[in-house]
Amino acid sequence: MITAQELTKRYGDRTVVTDLSFTVRPGTVTGFLGPNGSGKSTTLRMILGLVAPTRGHATVSGRSYAAHPAPLTEVGALLEARSVHPGRTARHHLRALAHTHGIPGSRVEHVLARTGLTEVAHRRVKGFSLGMGQRLGIAAALLGDPAALVLDEPVNGLDPEGVLWIRTLLKSLAAEGRTILVSSHLMSETALTADHLIVIGRGRLLADTTVADFVRRSGAGTVKVVTPDAAALAGLLTGPGVTLATDAPGSLTVRGADAEHIGRTAAAHGIPLYELTPSTASLEEAFMHLTHDTVEYTATAEGAAA
Amino acid sequence: MTATTTAAATGTPAYRVTAARVLRSEWHKLWTLRSTWINLAATTILTLGMGAGISAAYDGSGEGGLDPVLFVLLGTQFATVNLAVLGILATAGEYATGQIRATMTAVPRRLPVLWSKAAVLAAVTFVLSLWTNLLTFPLAQSFLTGTDQAAALGDPGVLRGLAGNAAGLALLTVLALGLGAVARSVPLAAGAYIGLVMIVPEVLRMLPYGVVDDAVRYFPSKALESLTAAQPGPDAAAPGAALLALSLWAAASLAAAAVTLRRRDV
Repeated sequence: MITAQELTKRYGDRTVVTDLSFTVRPGTVTGFLGPNGSGKSTTLRMILGLVAPTRGHATVSGRSYAAHPAPLTEVGALLEARSVHPGRTARHHLRALAHTHGIPGSRVEHVLARTGLTEVAHRRVKGFSLGMGQRLGIAAALLGDPAALVLDEPVNGLDPEGVLWIRTLLKSLAAEGRTILVSSHLMSETALTADHLIVIGRGRLLADTTVADFVRRSGAGTVKVVTPDAAALAGLLTGPGVTLATDAPGSLTVRGADAEHIGRTAAAHGIPLYELTPSTASLEEAFMHLTHDTVEYTATAEGAAA
Repeated sequence: MTATTTAAATGTPAYRVTAARVLRSEWHKLWTLRSTWINLAATTILTLGMGAGISAAYDGSGEGGLDPVLFVLLGTQFATVNLAVLGILATAGEYATGQIRATMTAVPRRLPVLWSKAAVLAAVTFVLSLWTNLLTFPLAQSFLTGTDQAAALGDPGVLRGLAGNAAGLALLTVLALGLGAVARSVPLAAGAYIGLVMIVPEVLRMLPYGVVDDAVRYFPSKALESLTAAQPGPDAAAPGAALLALSLWAAASLAAAAVTLRRRDV
């Protein structure tokens, strides 16, 4: 279990993370979502003790990460920035890390095999592709057979094959009962792997909920209605929190009212319906809806023109 | 021991961070970089080659009574730069490559990493320099028979000079390693090292104050000279004082590195 309590990080007069509190529960994949520059990496680094919070604290299994006698068995981490000396071979990089905990060479070979790096383990890391580098980062994270994994933008820059590999791996790691916290700015990718979401914008918590609940509560879901009497139905549905759009004659897109309500309203007034189609908002839409005013760098008209 | 016993009983491996394991990790890291081998080989070859070269070319005219150990070990001038680079790469190099994030995630208490790096490098550079010196001296002396630079290993101060030079180089390496950890940048640390070891003492010596002259003796490069000489001259510090001074320089650099490591984010 990973918890953050009122985590705050300031660099000079710039506050990167503000009063962030959340709990990551075991046995689930928790997506850590936010636009670029929203403080995700800083938060993950505070959990790992690489960055000291200005205020608040983060704990792993009840204590700070650095207070554990064998930190690599508590949390395995894949950071966004490359964390390996390019002049060392993959195997020696892992062995050097393994030595700090007394992890045997057989375990190094095991994680190399699991990440598909056995064939290239004798090669120096400087010749590695982005995907291979990412695999090595995951191999390092798995070294201590950790109860939790923290991964910062693991699919960034990967080709489709690499993305698929990470997705499958995360699911199998969660199935083994590990706690997984995976940050991303890619909503659709997170929707495919995460059960739970922590959403931040400008360093503040925006949502801490399930994926389904996040989409539902964001109010971004719509219902498409096709009826010969669109004008009458529109008049009946209009109310606080309901928005209506007409895409084509006889077709309405309703936001803020569910299909059941629309169907009952139509029936009560004898309005025939040819189509009544609820469409769940994608995580992308829900996310945009929630964060559109917390994006660090909003493109302005001048910016777009430049 | 109880942890091991418990772990054995439950069948889970007793993974935990210990000082000895961090030391082993740093030892492994040092030897698994090609640059280490190249650097150490170059240092040894330059010391041996310079010693043999200048001795072979020496015409025995005896111009100015150079100390026989200082003369033979002129090549260690290269070592003061080479080994410093090795020390700087061990710390600042990890920041340049990003390796430091992996290192500090494995050992989040941080300081054991610094102590281990210093211990490994001090031991390696001392042993290597000592052997290099013990080979260079007889090799160079084989060309010097009958000149005023002729000396034997058993002559007063010779063994002490050869060993003192190795100890001095090891301490300079630790000094450089500490600078690397503070600066977190290879060029910045290299600049600071060259400034401190090579430029500052020369500049200070130009000042017309006797106190400054006395102080300059205890600067790293001058202290190394005193340590290397079989018979330090009247203007040089005594070998014991020079060793103490170099130890203090190295300790101060390490202390600054420790404070930086504890206080600053990785």
